[in-house]
Amino acid sequence: MTRRKFIRKLVGAGSAILAGGLWLAKKAVPRKFVRGAGLGKYPGSLKDLGDIDNQGKWSG
Amino acid sequence: MRRELKVQCELCPKLCVIEPGQSGECRVRINLEGVLRSVVYGFPCSMHIDPVEKKPLFHFLPGSRILSLATVGCNLHCKNCQNWEISQANPEESKAAACPPGKLVQLCKQYECPSLAYTYTDPIVFYEYTYDAAKLARQAGVRNVLVTAGYINERPWRELLEHVDAANIDLKGITDEFYRNICSGTLKPVQEALILAKASGVLVEVTNLIIPTLNDKAEQIGELCRWVRANLGADTPVHFSGFSPRYKMRHLPPTSAATLDSAREIAIGEGLNYVYIGNVRSKAGQNTYCPGCKGLLIERSGYTVLQQRVKDGRCPDCNREIYGVWK
Repeated sequence: MTRRKFIRKLVGAGSAILAGGLWLAKKAVPRKFVRGAGLGKYPGSLKDLGDIDNQGKWSG
Repeated sequence: MRRELKVQCELCPKLCVIEPGQSGECRVRINLEGVLRSVVYGFPCSMHIDPVEKKPLFHFLPGSRILSLATVGCNLHCKNCQNWEISQANPEESKAAACPPGKLVQLCKQYECPSLAYTYTDPIVFYEYTYDAAKLARQAGVRNVLVTAGYINERPWRELLEHVDAANIDLKGITDEFYRNICSGTLKPVQEALILAKASGVLVEVTNLIIPTLNDKAEQIGELCRWVRANLGADTPVHFSGFSPRYKMRHLPPTSAATLDSAREIAIGEGLNYVYIGNVRSKAGQNTYCPGCKGLLIERSGYTVLQQRVKDGRCPDCNREIYGVWK
């Protein structure tokens, strides 16, 4: 292997390692959100609104 | 590829990093395929029409009815939570009604409620629902009220406050240690939220729940009052509320009426003008008096207003301006 070929392979391998590192880093950093979009469906069970014209039992 | 991504929720100071398919500490904000979603948007678990005094708000449209709602979830986990059955519930195990923001405004009109309260749990965790409903409500001439622990980051808080008319914000204690040990939170963000709400022109009332042995010492109450006076002003109404043994604090006794009376005396001594007592019967502690001439302005019995003498925002006897929203 000539010296030139060796350097070319070294640069190629280095680039691949760098790209892989960047890809991993990007995956490790979480995406940031303040607002969350609604799901549109409730994960629990649904109920009727019922009679709302009465005082709530909860504090507040 | 996207579904493997973690998300970070920057709504509140907890800054939860959420794994795919999991929820944040509040239980209601989830990471679905690399995107933050609110599972409770448009799904209140509780909705009632309360007197506004129940929030408690004593300086905001006294005697009026307020449509009050909550979804499940909370970003704090107070060991003394009075509403833990809904605040600490998982949405998967709870029941809720479908009620989009527009329907809330329609209900306010139908039941002749001049205002809408986001309450019972904490509107911070159903932020998007609160924000959208508040915006629509204001356009329709309905006022918005938050009842909250104020544990939220500055940017979303500032944006929400633009649509809010009044807030009762808990100041649960005056030490970081109390917030860390009892509430799983920290003190500073709450203090910042209180200051920002007041500076934004929102009518602010403060609630401090007094828990025997934990935050009932005279020095602690005095320090809290001095902080309120220095940072929010002497006219900011403060409600000292009595604790009932609940959730993870069933071993402590309820707060005595004497402790609450003593807290009120301390607060008045520290120069606060409007100090109230909640969850126990107290004649003086539920009425509003003029800080100028000391005359009776609003007489209450429980949540009922018996007499309202504030006229055009002023004391009818000495003409002093009275802090509040009166019409």
